[in-house]
Amino acid sequence: MQIVLRTEGLTKRFGRLTAVDRLDLEVREGEVFGFLGPNGAGKTTTLRLLCALIAPTSGGAEVAGWRLGRDDARIRASVGILTEQPGLYERLSAWENLLFCAALYGLDPATARSQAERFLRLMGLWDRRREAVATFSRGMKQKMAIARAALHEPRILFLDEPTTGLDPDAAKTVRELIVALRGEGRTVFLCTHNLDEADRLCDRIAFFRRHVIRIDSPDELRAELYGRATEFRLLPAPRAEDLARVRAVDGVREARLENGSIIVEAQDPLRTNPLLVRTLIDGGAEIAYVTERKPHLEDVYLRIVEAAE
Amino acid sequence: MSAVAVVARQPSRGALARAVCVREWREALGNRILVGMTLLPPIVILAAGIAAVAAAAANPPNERDVQALYAAAPAVEGLDPKEAVQGFIATYFLILFMLIPTVVPLTMAIYSVIGEKSARTLEPLLAAPVGVGELLFAKSLASTIPSVIVTWIAYAVYLASVTSLGSRAAVLAVTAPRWVLAIVVMVPLLTLLSVNLGILISTRVNDVRVAQQIGGLVVVPVVGLGIAQVTGRVVINNEAFIQFTALLVAADAAVFLLAKLAFQRENILVRWR
Repeated sequence: MQIVLRTEGLTKRFGRLTAVDRLDLEVREGEVFGFLGPNGAGKTTTLRLLCALIAPTSGGAEVAGWRLGRDDARIRASVGILTEQPGLYERLSAWENLLFCAALYGLDPATARSQAERFLRLMGLWDRRREAVATFSRGMKQKMAIARAALHEPRILFLDEPTTGLDPDAAKTVRELIVALRGEGRTVFLCTHNLDEADRLCDRIAFFRRHVIRIDSPDELRAELYGRATEFRLLPAPRAEDLARVRAVDGVREARLENGSIIVEAQDPLRTNPLLVRTLIDGGAEIAYVTERKPHLEDVYLRIVEAAE
Repeated sequence: MSAVAVVARQPSRGALARAVCVREWREALGNRILVGMTLLPPIVILAAGIAAVAAAAANPPNERDVQALYAAAPAVEGLDPKEAVQGFIATYFLILFMLIPTVVPLTMAIYSVIGEKSARTLEPLLAAPVGVGELLFAKSLASTIPSVIVTWIAYAVYLASVTSLGSRAAVLAVTAPRWVLAIVVMVPLLTLLSVNLGILISTRVNDVRVAQQIGGLVVVPVVGLGIAQVTGRVVINNEAFIQFTALLVAADAAVFLLAKLAFQRENILVRWR
Protein backbone atom coordinates (compact mmCIF):
# COMPACT_ATOMS: atom_id res chain seq x y z
CA MET A 1 0.00 0.00 0.00
CA GLN A 2 1.30 3.46 -0.90
CA ILE A 3 2.67 5.68 1.85
CA VAL A 4 0.75 8.98 1.87
CA LEU A 5 2.38 10.55 4.90
CA ARG A 6 5.93 10.08 6.13
CA THR A 7 7.81 11.98 8.85
CA GLU A 8 11.52 11.78 9.53
CA GLY A 9 12.72 12.98 12.90
CA LEU A 10 10.02 15.66 12.96
CA THR A 11 10.64 17.88 15.96
CA LYS A 12 8.92 20.98 17.30
CA ARG A 13 10.22 23.00 20.22
CA PHE A 14 8.62 26.03 21.85
CA GLY A 15 11.48 27.60 23.76
CA ARG A 16 12.64 24.93 26.20
CA LEU A 17 9.56 22.77 25.74
CA THR A 18 9.83 19.96 23.22
CA ALA A 19 6.27 19.32 22.05
CA VAL A 20 7.14 16.77 19.35
CA ASP A 21 10.40 14.87 19.58
CA ARG A 22 11.93 13.14 16.55
CA LEU A 23 8.68 11.75 15.24
CA ASP A 24 9.05 8.95 12.69
CA LEU A 25 5.79 7.87 11.19
CA GLU A 26 4.39 6.29 8.04
CA VAL A 27 0.71 6.36 7.19
CA ARG A 28 -0.68 4.31 4.32
CA GLU A 29 -3.07 5.52 1.67
CA GLY A 30 -6.69 4.62 2.43
CA GLU A 31 -6.26 3.64 6.07
CA VAL A 32 -7.83 5.07 9.18
CA PHE A 33 -4.83 5.82 11.35
CA GLY A 34 -5.46 6.36 15.05
CA PHE A 35 -3.22 8.79 16.91
CA LEU A 36 -3.64 8.21 20.63
CA GLY A 37 -1.93 9.85 23.53
CA PRO A 38 -2.59 11.53 26.88
CA ASN A 39 -3.45 15.22 27.19
CA GLY A 40 -0.40 17.37 26.48
CA ALA A 41 1.32 14.60 24.51
CA GLY A 42 1.71 16.90 21.50
CA LYS A 43 -1.06 15.52 19.29
CA THR A 44 -2.46 18.91 18.28
CA THR A 45 1.04 20.25 17.60
CA THR A 46 1.70 17.21 15.40
CA LEU A 47 -1.51 17.85 13.48
CA ARG A 48 -0.59 21.50 12.98
CA LEU A 49 2.86 20.48 11.74
CA LEU A 50 1.46 17.96 9.29
CA CYS A 51 -1.09 20.48 7.98
CA ALA A 52 1.69 23.04 7.39
CA LEU A 53 0.21 25.41 9.92
CA ILE A 54 3.40 25.67 11.94
CA ALA A 55 7.00 25.02 10.93
CA PRO A 56 9.10 22.21 12.41
CA THR A 57 12.21 23.04 14.43
CA SER A 58 14.02 20.15 12.76
CA GLY A 59 13.28 17.02 10.77
CA GLY A 60 10.94 16.81 7.83
CA ALA A 61 7.82 15.29 6.42
CA GLU A 62 6.19 14.40 3.14
CA VAL A 63 2.44 14.86 3.15
CA ALA A 64 0.28 13.72 0.23
CA GLY A 65 3.37 13.71 -1.95
CA TRP A 66 4.44 17.24 -1.04
CA ARG A 67 7.42 18.30 1.01
CA LEU A 68 6.76 20.17 4.26
CA GLY A 69 8.40 23.60 4.26
CA ARG A 70 8.69 23.70 0.48
CA ASP A 71 5.18 22.94 -0.77
CA ASP A 72 3.11 24.19 2.17
CA ALA A 73 0.26 25.68 0.12
CA ARG A 74 -0.03 22.41 -1.85
CA ILE A 75 -0.07 20.42 1.39
CA ARG A 76 -2.86 22.63 2.72
CA ALA A 77 -4.81 22.10 -0.51
CA SER A 78 -4.37 18.32 -0.22
CA VAL A 79 -5.42 17.88 3.39
CA GLY A 80 -8.46 18.75 5.45
CA ILE A 81 -8.46 19.40 9.17
CA LEU A 82 -11.11 19.25 11.84
CA THR A 83 -9.84 21.28 14.77
CA GLU A 84 -10.80 20.80 18.42
CA GLN A 85 -13.36 23.62 18.14
CA PRO A 86 -15.83 23.63 15.21
CA GLY A 87 -14.79 27.23 14.40
CA LEU A 88 -17.78 28.12 12.25
CA TYR A 89 -19.13 31.55 11.38
CA GLU A 90 -22.17 31.59 13.64
CA ARG A 91 -24.09 34.39 11.94
CA LEU A 92 -23.79 32.75 8.55
CA SER A 93 -26.02 29.91 7.40
CA ALA A 94 -24.73 26.37 6.92
CA TRP A 95 -24.82 26.94 3.15
CA GLU A 96 -22.87 30.21 3.36
CA ASN A 97 -20.26 28.65 5.65
CA LEU A 98 -19.54 25.86 3.18
CA LEU A 99 -19.49 28.16 0.14
CA PHE A 100 -16.98 30.43 1.89
CA CYS A 101 -14.81 27.44 2.69
CA ALA A 102 -15.03 26.24 -0.93
CA ALA A 103 -13.80 29.66 -2.09
CA LEU A 104 -10.78 29.38 0.24
CA TYR A 105 -9.84 26.13 -1.52
CA GLY A 106 -10.23 27.62 -4.98
CA LEU A 107 -13.27 25.53 -5.95
CA ASP A 108 -15.24 26.98 -8.86
CA PRO A 109 -18.80 28.09 -7.99
CA ALA A 110 -20.57 25.10 -9.62
CA THR A 111 -18.33 22.56 -7.85
CA ALA A 112 -18.65 24.51 -4.61
CA ARG A 113 -22.44 24.34 -4.75
CA SER A 114 -22.57 20.65 -5.65
CA GLN A 115 -20.06 19.75 -2.91
CA ALA A 116 -21.92 21.84 -0.33
CA GLU A 117 -25.17 20.11 -1.24
CA ARG A 118 -23.53 16.67 -1.17
CA PHE A 119 -22.08 17.11 2.30
CA LEU A 120 -25.11 18.85 3.78
CA ARG A 121 -27.29 15.95 2.61
CA LEU A 122 -24.74 13.43 3.87
CA MET A 123 -24.75 15.06 7.29
CA GLY A 124 -28.53 15.34 7.41
CA LEU A 125 -28.41 19.15 7.45
CA TRP A 126 -29.81 19.90 4.00
CA ASP A 127 -33.23 20.97 5.30
CA ARG A 128 -31.57 23.48 7.64
CA ARG A 129 -29.07 24.87 5.18
CA ARG A 130 -30.55 28.39 5.25
CA GLU A 131 -30.46 28.68 9.05
CA ALA A 132 -27.71 30.50 10.93
CA VAL A 133 -25.19 28.08 12.42
CA ALA A 134 -25.70 29.83 15.79
CA THR A 135 -29.05 28.03 16.05
CA PHE A 136 -27.45 24.59 15.62
CA SER A 137 -26.78 22.08 18.40
CA ARG A 138 -23.22 21.08 19.33
CA GLY A 139 -23.60 17.89 17.32
CA MET A 140 -24.86 19.71 14.23
CA LYS A 141 -21.97 22.17 14.44
CA GLN A 142 -19.50 19.29 14.65
CA LYS A 143 -21.06 17.67 11.59
CA MET A 144 -20.82 21.02 9.78
CA ALA A 145 -17.14 21.28 10.74
CA ILE A 146 -16.47 17.80 9.37
CA ALA A 147 -18.31 18.67 6.17
CA ARG A 148 -16.13 21.76 5.86
CA ALA A 149 -12.94 19.73 6.39
CA ALA A 150 -13.94 17.18 3.73
CA LEU A 151 -15.57 19.60 1.27
CA HIS A 152 -12.57 19.86 -1.07
CA GLU A 153 -12.08 16.06 -1.12
CA PRO A 154 -8.69 16.04 0.60
CA ARG A 155 -6.35 13.06 0.22
CA ILE A 156 -5.76 13.06 3.97
CA LEU A 157 -8.32 14.13 6.52
CA PHE A 158 -7.02 15.06 9.96
CA LEU A 159 -9.72 14.74 12.59
CA ASP A 160 -9.07 15.99 16.11
CA GLU A 161 -11.58 14.39 18.52
CA PRO A 162 -14.38 14.26 15.92
CA THR A 163 -17.09 12.76 18.14
CA THR A 164 -16.41 14.64 21.37
CA GLY A 165 -19.63 16.12 22.71
CA LEU A 166 -21.84 14.39 20.16
CA ASP A 167 -24.95 12.41 21.03
CA PRO A 168 -24.84 8.71 20.06
CA ASP A 169 -26.81 9.30 16.87
CA ALA A 170 -24.53 12.11 15.66
CA ALA A 171 -21.42 10.16 16.68
CA LYS A 172 -22.67 7.21 14.64
CA THR A 173 -23.14 9.47 11.60
CA VAL A 174 -19.57 10.72 11.98
CA ARG A 175 -18.20 7.20 12.30
CA GLU A 176 -20.14 6.12 9.22
CA LEU A 177 -18.67 9.06 7.33
CA ILE A 178 -15.16 8.04 8.36
CA VAL A 179 -15.80 4.51 7.13
CA ALA A 180 -17.25 5.89 3.88
CA LEU A 181 -14.18 8.09 3.37
CA ARG A 182 -11.93 5.07 3.83
CA GLY A 183 -14.12 3.27 1.29
CA GLU A 184 -13.28 6.04 -1.20
CA GLY A 185 -9.59 5.43 -0.62
CA ARG A 186 -9.05 8.54 1.50
CA THR A 187 -6.73 8.47 4.44
CA VAL A 188 -8.10 9.49 7.82
CA PHE A 189 -5.69 10.56 10.56
CA LEU A 190 -7.78 10.30 13.71
CA CYS A 191 -6.74 11.92 17.00
CA THR A 192 -8.98 10.65 19.73
CA HIS A 193 -9.29 9.85 23.40
CA ASN A 194 -12.19 7.55 22.63
CA LEU A 195 -10.45 4.18 22.67
CA ASP A 196 -13.61 2.30 21.81
CA GLU A 197 -13.99 4.45 18.72
CA ALA A 198 -10.33 3.96 17.78
CA ASP A 199 -10.77 0.22 18.22
CA ARG A 200 -13.80 0.17 15.93
CA LEU A 201 -12.49 2.47 13.23
CA CYS A 202 -8.73 2.32 13.02
CA ASP A 203 -6.71 -0.01 10.85
CA ARG A 204 -3.60 0.94 12.80
CA ILE A 205 -2.97 2.87 15.96
CA ALA A 206 -0.01 4.92 17.11
CA PHE A 207 0.46 5.44 20.82
CA PHE A 208 2.12 8.80 21.11
CA ARG A 209 3.83 10.84 23.77
CA ARG A 210 6.04 13.44 22.10
CA HIS A 211 7.20 10.59 19.88
CA VAL A 212 5.60 7.35 18.74
CA ILE A 213 5.77 4.62 21.38
CA ARG A 214 4.11 1.87 19.34
CA ILE A 215 2.27 1.47 16.02
CA ASP A 216 0.22 -1.56 15.07
CA SER A 217 -3.31 -2.72 14.46
CA PRO A 218 -5.46 -2.96 17.60
CA ASP A 219 -5.75 -6.75 17.25
CA GLU A 220 -2.02 -7.25 16.82
CA LEU A 221 -1.34 -5.15 19.91
CA ARG A 222 -3.83 -7.21 21.89
CA ALA A 223 -2.38 -10.46 20.63
CA GLU A 224 1.11 -9.38 21.55
CA LEU A 225 0.22 -8.20 25.03
CA TYR A 226 -2.57 -10.54 25.99
CA GLY A 227 -2.43 -13.41 23.47
CA ARG A 228 -5.39 -14.56 21.39
CA ALA A 229 -7.97 -15.83 23.85
CA THR A 230 -11.30 -17.56 23.21
CA GLU A 231 -14.07 -18.03 25.73
CA PHE A 232 -16.05 -21.31 25.75
CA ARG A 233 -19.22 -20.91 27.78
CA LEU A 234 -20.54 -24.30 28.86
CA LEU A 235 -23.91 -25.37 30.31
CA PRO A 236 -23.75 -26.53 32.97
CA ALA A 237 -20.50 -25.01 34.26
CA PRO A 238 -17.32 -26.70 33.02
CA ARG A 239 -15.89 -29.60 34.97
CA ALA A 240 -12.25 -30.33 35.74
CA GLU A 241 -12.20 -33.08 33.09
CA ASP A 242 -13.44 -30.58 30.46
CA LEU A 243 -10.49 -28.34 31.26
CA ALA A 244 -8.09 -31.29 31.12
CA ARG A 245 -9.42 -32.30 27.67
CA VAL A 246 -9.00 -28.74 26.40
CA ARG A 247 -5.43 -28.54 27.67
CA ALA A 248 -4.59 -31.72 25.79
CA VAL A 249 -5.60 -30.27 22.41
CA ASP A 250 -2.71 -29.54 20.09
CA GLY A 251 -1.96 -25.79 19.76
CA VAL A 252 -3.41 -24.73 23.14
CA ARG A 253 -0.92 -22.52 25.01
CA GLU A 254 -2.99 -21.97 28.13
CA ALA A 255 -6.48 -22.82 29.41
CA ARG A 256 -8.18 -21.75 32.64
CA LEU A 257 -11.60 -21.61 34.28
CA GLU A 258 -13.15 -18.18 34.71
CA ASN A 259 -16.75 -17.40 35.80
CA GLY A 260 -18.29 -20.55 34.36
CA SER A 261 -16.26 -20.44 31.15
CA ILE A 262 -13.07 -21.97 29.86
CA ILE A 263 -10.65 -19.34 28.60
CA VAL A 264 -8.27 -20.71 26.02
CA GLU A 265 -5.19 -19.01 24.58
CA ALA A 266 -4.01 -20.64 21.40
CA GLN A 267 -1.30 -19.87 18.90
CA ASP A 268 -3.71 -20.15 15.98
CA PRO A 269 -7.33 -19.91 17.16
CA LEU A 270 -8.70 -20.39 13.64
CA ARG A 271 -7.17 -23.88 13.50
CA THR A 272 -7.49 -24.82 17.17
CA ASN A 273 -11.04 -23.65 18.00
CA PRO A 274 -12.89 -26.21 15.76
CA LEU A 275 -10.81 -28.98 17.42
CA LEU A 276 -11.73 -27.66 20.85
CA VAL A 277 -15.45 -27.54 20.03
CA ARG A 278 -15.35 -31.14 18.78
CA THR A 279 -13.36 -32.29 21.83
CA LEU A 280 -15.77 -30.66 24.30
CA ILE A 281 -18.88 -32.06 22.56
CA ASP A 282 -17.31 -35.53 22.34
CA GLY A 283 -16.63 -35.29 26.09
CA GLY A 284 -20.32 -34.63 26.76
CA ALA A 285 -20.18 -30.86 27.38
CA GLU A 286 -22.99 -28.54 26.24
CA ILE A 287 -21.56 -25.39 24.59
CA ALA A 288 -23.72 -22.28 25.07
CA TYR A 289 -21.48 -20.04 22.96
CA VAL A 290 -17.92 -19.52 21.75
CA THR A 291 -16.59 -15.98 21.55
CA GLU A 292 -13.32 -14.23 20.88
CA ARG A 293 -12.04 -12.60 24.06
CA LYS A 294 -10.76 -9.12 23.40
CA PRO A 295 -9.16 -7.15 26.18
CA HIS A 296 -10.39 -3.57 26.05
CA LEU A 297 -8.09 -1.27 24.09
CA GLU A 298 -7.92 0.89 27.21
CA ASP A 299 -6.00 -1.89 28.96
CA VAL A 300 -3.63 -2.17 26.00
CA TYR A 301 -3.18 1.62 25.94
CA LEU A 302 -2.49 1.89 29.67
CA ARG A 303 -0.04 -0.99 29.60
CA ILE A 304 1.91 0.49 26.68
CA VAL A 305 1.95 4.04 28.07
CA GLU A 306 2.95 2.85 31.55
CA ALA A 307 5.72 0.70 30.08
CA ALA A 308 7.02 3.71 28.17
CA GLU A 309 7.11 5.81 31.33
CA MET B 1 -20.91 8.04 -1.10
CA SER B 2 -19.22 8.61 -4.41
CA ALA B 3 -16.01 10.51 -4.95
CA VAL B 4 -16.28 13.67 -7.03
CA ALA B 5 -13.40 14.98 -9.13
CA VAL B 6 -12.57 18.04 -7.07
CA VAL B 7 -9.29 19.89 -7.41
CA ALA B 8 -8.45 22.17 -4.52
CA ARG B 9 -5.90 24.89 -5.15
CA GLN B 10 -4.77 28.29 -3.93
CA PRO B 11 -7.56 30.76 -4.81
CA SER B 12 -6.74 33.82 -6.89
CA ARG B 13 -6.23 37.06 -4.99
CA GLY B 14 -9.45 38.50 -6.43
CA ALA B 15 -11.53 35.43 -5.58
CA LEU B 16 -10.15 35.39 -2.03
CA ALA B 17 -10.80 39.11 -1.54
CA ARG B 18 -14.35 38.74 -2.86
CA ALA B 19 -15.08 35.73 -0.63
CA VAL B 20 -13.63 37.38 2.50
CA CYS B 21 -15.44 40.67 1.85
CA VAL B 22 -18.82 39.00 1.25
CA ARG B 23 -18.38 36.80 4.32
CA GLU B 24 -17.34 39.70 6.59
CA TRP B 25 -20.12 41.98 5.33
CA ARG B 26 -22.77 39.30 5.82
CA GLU B 27 -21.53 38.70 9.35
CA ALA B 28 -21.30 42.44 10.06
CA LEU B 29 -24.85 43.05 8.85
CA GLY B 30 -26.05 40.38 11.26
CA ASN B 31 -24.37 42.17 14.17
CA ARG B 32 -26.66 45.03 15.23
CA ILE B 33 -24.16 46.45 17.70
CA LEU B 34 -21.48 46.61 15.03
CA VAL B 35 -23.84 48.18 12.48
CA GLY B 36 -24.97 50.72 15.09
CA MET B 37 -21.43 51.57 16.17
CA THR B 38 -20.40 51.91 12.52
CA LEU B 39 -23.24 54.14 11.38
CA LEU B 40 -23.75 56.28 14.47
CA PRO B 41 -20.68 58.57 14.13
CA PRO B 42 -21.32 59.53 10.47
CA ILE B 43 -25.04 60.09 11.16
CA VAL B 44 -24.30 62.31 14.17
CA ILE B 45 -21.59 64.28 12.35
CA LEU B 46 -23.80 64.70 9.28
CA ALA B 47 -26.88 65.76 11.25
CA ALA B 48 -24.88 68.19 13.39
CA GLY B 49 -23.14 69.67 10.34
CA ILE B 50 -26.37 70.24 8.42
CA ALA B 51 -28.08 71.71 11.49
CA ALA B 52 -25.15 74.07 12.17
CA VAL B 53 -25.00 75.36 8.58
CA ALA B 54 -28.79 75.79 8.58
CA ALA B 55 -28.61 77.72 11.85
CA ALA B 56 -25.82 79.93 10.54
CA ALA B 57 -27.80 80.64 7.36
CA ALA B 58 -30.95 81.51 9.30
CA ASN B 59 -29.37 83.64 12.02
CA PRO B 60 -27.01 86.48 11.07
CA PRO B 61 -24.04 86.65 13.47
CA ASN B 62 -23.73 89.59 15.86
CA GLU B 63 -20.63 91.79 15.95
CA ARG B 64 -19.17 90.01 18.98
CA ASP B 65 -19.44 86.59 17.20
CA VAL B 66 -17.78 87.98 14.08
CA GLN B 67 -14.86 89.43 16.07
CA ALA B 68 -14.45 86.14 17.91
CA LEU B 69 -14.44 84.32 14.56
CA TYR B 70 -11.81 86.67 13.08
CA ALA B 71 -9.67 86.13 16.17
CA ALA B 72 -10.02 82.33 16.02
CA ALA B 73 -9.69 82.04 12.25
CA PRO B 74 -7.55 84.81 10.74
CA ALA B 75 -7.94 83.17 7.32
CA VAL B 76 -11.56 84.31 6.99
CA GLU B 77 -10.90 87.94 7.92
CA GLY B 78 -12.15 90.33 5.28
CA LEU B 79 -15.05 88.15 4.13
CA ASP B 80 -18.69 89.13 4.55
CA PRO B 81 -19.43 88.22 8.19
CA LYS B 82 -22.45 86.01 7.41
CA GLU B 83 -20.61 84.21 4.62
CA ALA B 84 -17.54 83.84 6.78
CA VAL B 85 -19.52 82.21 9.55
CA GLN B 86 -21.27 79.81 7.16
CA GLY B 87 -18.00 78.91 5.41
CA PHE B 88 -16.24 78.48 8.74
CA ILE B 89 -18.93 76.16 10.08
CA ALA B 90 -19.16 74.16 6.84
CA THR B 91 -15.38 73.68 6.84
CA TYR B 92 -15.29 72.84 10.54
CA PHE B 93 -17.72 69.99 9.97
CA LEU B 94 -15.72 68.79 6.95
CA ILE B 95 -12.85 68.21 9.37
CA LEU B 96 -15.17 66.05 11.42
CA PHE B 97 -15.89 64.15 8.20
CA MET B 98 -12.22 63.20 8.14
CA LEU B 99 -12.83 61.45 11.46
CA ILE B 100 -15.29 59.02 9.83
CA PRO B 101 -12.57 57.00 8.03
CA THR B 102 -10.60 56.75 11.27
CA VAL B 103 -13.49 55.71 13.52
CA VAL B 104 -15.79 53.58 11.32
CA PRO B 105 -13.33 51.01 9.90
CA LEU B 106 -11.50 50.68 13.20
CA THR B 107 -14.54 49.01 14.76
CA MET B 108 -14.95 46.67 11.80
CA ALA B 109 -11.25 45.79 11.64
CA ILE B 110 -11.12 45.07 15.36
CA TYR B 111 -14.21 42.84 15.14
CA SER B 112 -12.77 41.17 12.04
CA VAL B 113 -9.75 39.86 13.97
CA ILE B 114 -10.89 39.71 17.60
CA GLY B 115 -14.20 38.21 16.47
CA GLU B 116 -12.35 35.43 14.64
CA LYS B 117 -10.07 34.89 17.63
CA SER B 118 -12.94 34.49 20.07
CA ALA B 119 -15.02 32.33 17.68
CA ARG B 120 -11.97 30.09 17.02
CA THR B 121 -12.45 30.46 13.27
CA LEU B 122 -8.88 31.49 12.54
CA GLU B 123 -7.36 27.99 12.56
CA PRO B 124 -9.67 26.53 9.91
CA LEU B 125 -9.17 29.71 7.90
CA LEU B 126 -5.38 29.44 8.10
CA ALA B 127 -5.51 25.73 7.23
CA ALA B 128 -6.69 26.71 3.74
CA PRO B 129 -4.14 27.20 0.95
CA VAL B 130 -4.20 31.00 1.20
CA GLY B 131 -1.27 33.32 1.74
CA VAL B 132 -1.46 35.31 4.96
CA GLY B 133 -0.54 38.51 3.11
CA GLU B 134 -3.44 37.99 0.69
CA LEU B 135 -5.74 37.15 3.59
CA LEU B 136 -4.70 40.27 5.48
CA PHE B 137 -5.19 42.39 2.37
CA ALA B 138 -8.67 40.88 1.84
CA LYS B 139 -9.56 41.62 5.46
CA SER B 140 -8.27 45.19 5.09
CA LEU B 141 -10.43 45.66 2.01
CA ALA B 142 -13.48 44.25 3.78
CA SER B 143 -13.22 46.97 6.44
CA THR B 144 -11.99 49.75 4.13
CA ILE B 145 -14.60 49.60 1.36
CA PRO B 146 -17.73 50.15 3.50
CA SER B 147 -16.05 52.92 5.44
CA VAL B 148 -15.00 54.81 2.31
CA ILE B 149 -18.46 54.38 0.82
CA VAL B 150 -20.12 55.60 4.05
CA THR B 151 -17.84 58.66 4.12
CA TRP B 152 -18.47 59.47 0.46
CA ILE B 153 -22.24 59.07 0.90
CA ALA B 154 -22.12 61.32 3.99
CA TYR B 155 -20.14 63.92 2.01
CA ALA B 156 -22.64 63.76 -0.87
CA VAL B 157 -25.60 64.18 1.50
CA TYR B 158 -23.81 67.08 3.24
CA LEU B 159 -23.11 68.77 -0.09
CA ALA B 160 -26.71 68.28 -1.24
CA SER B 161 -28.00 69.63 2.08
CA VAL B 162 -25.88 72.79 2.18
CA THR B 163 -26.76 73.42 -1.47
CA SER B 164 -30.49 73.08 -0.76
CA LEU B 165 -30.10 75.42 2.26
CA GLY B 166 -28.95 78.08 -0.18
CA SER B 167 -25.70 78.88 1.60
CA ARG B 168 -23.31 79.88 -1.19
CA ALA B 169 -20.33 80.23 1.13
CA ALA B 170 -20.95 76.81 2.62
CA VAL B 171 -21.21 75.26 -0.86
CA LEU B 172 -17.95 76.92 -1.88
CA ALA B 173 -16.25 75.65 1.27
CA VAL B 174 -17.51 72.10 0.82
CA THR B 175 -16.60 71.96 -2.89
CA ALA B 176 -13.18 73.61 -2.52
CA PRO B 177 -10.73 71.51 -4.60
CA ARG B 178 -8.58 70.88 -1.51
CA TRP B 179 -11.51 69.32 0.36
CA VAL B 180 -12.77 67.34 -2.65
CA LEU B 181 -9.28 65.88 -3.03
CA ALA B 182 -9.16 65.21 0.71
CA ILE B 183 -12.40 63.27 0.47
CA VAL B 184 -11.39 61.37 -2.69
CA VAL B 185 -7.72 60.67 -1.90
CA MET B 186 -7.14 61.04 1.80
CA VAL B 187 -10.25 59.26 3.01
CA PRO B 188 -9.19 55.88 1.51
CA LEU B 189 -5.61 56.39 2.77
CA LEU B 190 -6.75 57.31 6.28
CA THR B 191 -9.17 54.39 6.25
CA LEU B 192 -6.44 51.91 5.32
CA LEU B 193 -4.22 53.33 8.07
CA SER B 194 -6.95 52.98 10.63
CA VAL B 195 -7.84 49.44 9.47
CA ASN B 196 -4.29 48.13 9.64
CA LEU B 197 -3.72 49.82 13.00
CA GLY B 198 -6.90 48.12 14.17
CA ILE B 199 -5.58 44.75 12.97
CA LEU B 200 -2.23 45.39 14.64
CA ILE B 201 -3.91 46.28 17.93
CA SER B 202 -6.18 43.24 17.66
CA THR B 203 -3.21 40.90 17.46
CA ARG B 204 -2.25 41.89 21.00
CA VAL B 205 -5.65 42.43 22.65
CA ASN B 206 -8.60 40.10 23.16
CA ASP B 207 -11.23 42.62 24.24
CA VAL B 208 -13.01 44.72 21.61
CA ARG B 209 -13.51 47.63 24.05
CA VAL B 210 -9.82 47.78 25.01
CA ALA B 211 -8.82 47.63 21.34
CA GLN B 212 -11.21 50.47 20.54
CA GLN B 213 -9.85 52.60 23.36
CA ILE B 214 -6.31 52.17 22.08
CA GLY B 215 -7.42 52.64 18.49
CA GLY B 216 -9.28 55.82 19.42
CA LEU B 217 -5.92 57.58 19.62
CA VAL B 218 -5.78 57.45 15.81
CA VAL B 219 -8.16 60.42 15.65
CA VAL B 220 -5.94 62.76 17.68
CA PRO B 221 -3.50 63.82 14.91
CA VAL B 222 -6.37 64.18 12.43
CA VAL B 223 -8.35 66.43 14.77
CA GLY B 224 -5.24 68.48 15.63
CA LEU B 225 -4.30 69.03 12.00
CA GLY B 226 -7.87 69.87 11.07
CA ILE B 227 -8.31 72.47 13.82
CA ALA B 228 -4.96 74.05 12.97
CA GLN B 229 -6.00 74.27 9.34
CA VAL B 230 -9.44 75.77 10.03
CA THR B 231 -8.10 78.36 12.40
CA GLY B 232 -5.45 79.33 9.88
CA ARG B 233 -2.51 78.35 12.07
CA VAL B 234 -1.54 75.77 9.47
CA VAL B 235 -2.37 76.36 5.85
CA ILE B 236 -2.59 73.19 3.83
CA ASN B 237 -1.77 74.42 0.36
CA ASN B 238 -1.30 72.13 -2.64
CA GLU B 239 2.32 71.39 -1.81
CA ALA B 240 1.51 70.54 1.80
CA PHE B 241 -1.39 68.43 0.60
CA ILE B 242 0.89 66.34 -1.64
CA GLN B 243 3.41 65.98 1.20
CA PHE B 244 0.71 64.92 3.60
CA THR B 245 -0.65 62.40 1.03
CA ALA B 246 2.85 60.95 0.52
CA LEU B 247 3.25 60.69 4.27
CA LEU B 248 -0.05 58.82 4.52
CA VAL B 249 0.96 56.42 1.72
CA ALA B 250 4.23 55.68 3.53
CA ALA B 251 2.43 55.24 6.84
CA ASP B 252 -0.08 52.91 5.18
CA ALA B 253 2.68 50.76 3.71
CA ALA B 254 4.62 50.67 6.99
CA VAL B 255 1.60 49.75 9.11
CA PHE B 256 0.50 47.10 6.57
CA LEU B 257 3.96 45.54 6.71
CA LEU B 258 3.91 45.57 10.51
CA ALA B 259 0.44 44.00 10.49
CA LYS B 260 1.67 41.38 8.00
CA LEU B 261 4.58 40.56 10.30
CA ALA B 262 2.22 40.09 13.24
CA PHE B 263 -0.30 38.17 11.13
CA GLN B 264 1.73 34.98 10.60
CA ARG B 265 0.25 31.50 10.87
CA GLU B 266 2.48 30.30 13.67
CA ASN B 267 2.15 33.57 15.63
CA ILE B 268 -1.61 33.43 15.38
CA LEU B 269 -1.96 29.78 16.38
CA VAL B 270 0.69 29.59 19.06
CA ARG B 271 1.24 33.05 20.51
CA TRP B 272 -2.09 34.86 20.14
CA ARG B 273 -4.24 34.52 23.24
